[in-house]
Amino acid sequence: MMADRGRGRRTLSFIVDSVAISRGDSLPPAVQQPTPVFPVSPAPLFSPDSYPQVIEQKPLPLTGGEEAEYLTALKQDFRGAMRSLPCFIQPAAVHRDVERYSDKYHLSEQMDGLTDWIIDWKRFPKELRVRIRKPSRDGAALTCLGGGQSVQMKKKKVVEKEEVLLKLETLEKKEEQESSEEEGEGKNKQKEEEAEAEEEYDEEEFEEETDYIMSYFDNGEDFEGDSDDNMDEAIY
Amino acid sequence: MAHERKCYDLPGVWGLLLPYNSDRKTDAGEQPQPPPSSRKKHKHRRRSSSSRRQLSEEYGSPTSGAPPKGDTSEQTWGAEISVYKMTLQETRLCGLLLREHFGEVVEKVGTHLLRSGAQNLRTIVQETNLSVDLVKKCLCVLVQHGACLFIAGRKGPGSPTEYRACCDRILRVLSYPRYIYTAKTLYGDTGELIIEELLQRGHMTMSSTVKTVADRLTQNMEEGHSLDYSDVSSTFSKLVETHFLQRCPPGGGAGTSGSAGPAEAPATPAAPAAAVSKALPTPESFPDCYTVPQVTLVGRGKRQLVPEDGEDQRNAKRAKMNSETHGDEGIYWQVNFERFHQHFRDQAIISAVANKLDQTSSEIVRTILRMSEVTTSPTATCTKPLSANEIFRSLPASYNIPRQILDQYLTLLVDDPMEFVGKSGESGGGMFVVNLHRALANLARATLESIVQERFGSRSARIFRLLLRKRHLEQKQVEDFAMIPAKEAKDMLYSLLSHNLVQLQEIPKTPDFAPSRTFYLYTVNQLPTARMLLQNCYKTVANLIERRLFETKENKRLLEKSQRIEAILASLQASGAEPEQLSEVEEMISAPEKQQLDVLRLHVNKLDSAENQVDETIFILESYISSTSTS
Repeated sequence: MMADRGRGRRTLSFIVDSVAISRGDSLPPAVQQPTPVFPVSPAPLFSPDSYPQVIEQKPLPLTGGEEAEYLTALKQDFRGAMRSLPCFIQPAAVHRDVERYSDKYHLSEQMDGLTDWIIDWKRFPKELRVRIRKPSRDGAALTCLGGGQSVQMKKKKVVEKEEVLLKLETLEKKEEQESSEEEGEGKNKQKEEEAEAEEEYDEEEFEEETDYIMSYFDNGEDFEGDSDDNMDEAIY
Repeated sequence: MAHERKCYDLPGVWGLLLPYNSDRKTDAGEQPQPPPSSRKKHKHRRRSSSSRRQLSEEYGSPTSGAPPKGDTSEQTWGAEISVYKMTLQETRLCGLLLREHFGEVVEKVGTHLLRSGAQNLRTIVQETNLSVDLVKKCLCVLVQHGACLFIAGRKGPGSPTEYRACCDRILRVLSYPRYIYTAKTLYGDTGELIIEELLQRGHMTMSSTVKTVADRLTQNMEEGHSLDYSDVSSTFSKLVETHFLQRCPPGGGAGTSGSAGPAEAPATPAAPAAAVSKALPTPESFPDCYTVPQVTLVGRGKRQLVPEDGEDQRNAKRAKMNSETHGDEGIYWQVNFERFHQHFRDQAIISAVANKLDQTSSEIVRTILRMSEVTTSPTATCTKPLSANEIFRSLPASYNIPRQILDQYLTLLVDDPMEFVGKSGESGGGMFVVNLHRALANLARATLESIVQERFGSRSARIFRLLLRKRHLEQKQVEDFAMIPAKEAKDMLYSLLSHNLVQLQEIPKTPDFAPSRTFYLYTVNQLPTARMLLQNCYKTVANLIERRLFETKENKRLLEKSQRIEAILASLQASGAEPEQLSEVEEMISAPEKQQLDVLRLHVNKLDSAENQVDETIFILESYISSTSTS
């Protein structure tokens, strides 16, 4: 079709009559660039300021009224509520500018929200199931429904410790088999009692293998909302 | 020379018209399901999809077109889902909704699933570069909320389960405020909270829902009052009776073999992986779908005590987790969106009649629709015929109009050009139906006309309406019928044409499409135009959400500061403080900052309100499009 253009003659691809352009009119200017993204009205050709005008047709105003406001409020409440539910998954890594020592001990805080969500695993495929760890000897209760690498490493450490202790026990037993069998049993019972006693301790203190309570690692960056007005101590 | 136009030159047509051709290697990217994970093919697929990107701007995901020959594995997903098209705008909107409600990690997994079709866990982990545990958690969240379905592997019993995200379900999140508000108007605050809890959690048992809602309502009551569980249970049962709530299908996903369903649920066997199930088991295919289980639930709502110490709160939380059995373990409930949509559709028809005619006629239509609620299926073209006698007897007591007036109103309704009500017979004083599909088509048409009017002006709207009515017109005829001078008519037609609202049909007189010997007819096709405007609506909502996120991000520091100060104020007031302290704290925000906050709040409210209103338009267009696909 393109090759069929008349030799040297200029023919238009449309019929002048049906497109309703009379002879005198010039063709509209050729399009040089794609249409602007935000709709603008065509500015007059010889305007002093070539700033794009606002669109001619302004959109209708939003319908106000009680129902619309209530719907908006519902929407915002729903969004806010979803953020606090266990379904809202925050990425495990919090990007900080500087790596801090207390980061290691803060990860467990995020886990608390997840314990609310009890899943009926019968309705989910088996491969999605994540095992829940029982409280280990150290008394650290790690209910895991996910979590980053460091949590897994903690579990591994705990498991390794348990294995080492077991080995020591078995070695002890082998060395002093005859006379100290009773002692060994006694030791086992003691250890079990110790473990139980340890489990009764508040998990806050025994989260990790530290000597400090967890709030020791609170670096005060979370604004606590305490007012300074009623302090009895002197301020230096 | 014959006028040749290759069909794959047209943007957006790619993947729709082309049949699967085994010669065409580059078509491998358009297969509905991903090939078995071999490295080479994976790379090849990525290359081909990037080269096609400029053509497939509208249709992003390669799940369209005819399924490859000889591959029957697509059938296990059911006929509805195998023709599963995802457009660019829909994916973008789904991603934003997932981000707002479930976090960015779920957004990443969800959008990946939406773009790639069905995938198994390993592939998802590989391609999203997230940890396995995180992906598992995200999938759990998605399945819990019904946004993702899983199916046992299609390549035999040993293959891993595959996950597929449902775009429609995720888009429903836009209408959540409307569902909650409808429940409030129909069943009061209790109903509102029940629906809200179920929407937040996805699936829940009846007992846990009742307890949570009772506790929440008790919180807002005065001291010493609490709500009994039985009140909430009765509202729950009412919601189930009217089908607003339904049981989740047992077993969770589609065709999961070997998952033990709950004992009370009917023993409908989930199709084993080897067999081919005809269609996805909908919740309604189970006969117990709307049966309320026997639940022993006695008690009253508990008011949550202000925790004195962090310790007590944690212990209290643990105490709550000791679940007491109430006899309905394993029976989960979800919100029945279809029923809500039916309700919205009825409301739209009634309000349209009220706007066009008057209040009494809308009451008559409301009566007809109410009587046919139970007997009409969601996809029916029109309601079951009702005689004028029945309608007369069922009119609400406040409208005691005499019988002849009712007959006159019915005649008016039937004669109205909107064709909401039709007459299907003469027995019983006249048999009347409500034409649901035609009503939806008319509502969609009115929406389209209104969009054209607001964007291009009333004269262009006149041309648009003319073309809708008269189908095909030449340019001269358009000018004559619309009574608009030729030059302006030409301009308007061309601007409508450039926005794709009007199409040009060429009818040749001679085999070569010589312009002097061809008829050029302008036409408007309602269905494709509705589809296009629906995509525009999705884009609009996505833009609104992005703008709102941008605004909140800009003022993040200020928002956090104001939140902290509100928290301080609340704690001070709870512990009893003097007004000077309160005012001191309030002064921590300066006046210009307060002004900035007010402006921000105004903007955010406006954007949210706009989203809700676009959602109404989306609903009408979507209902219209889905009604045409079923009829």
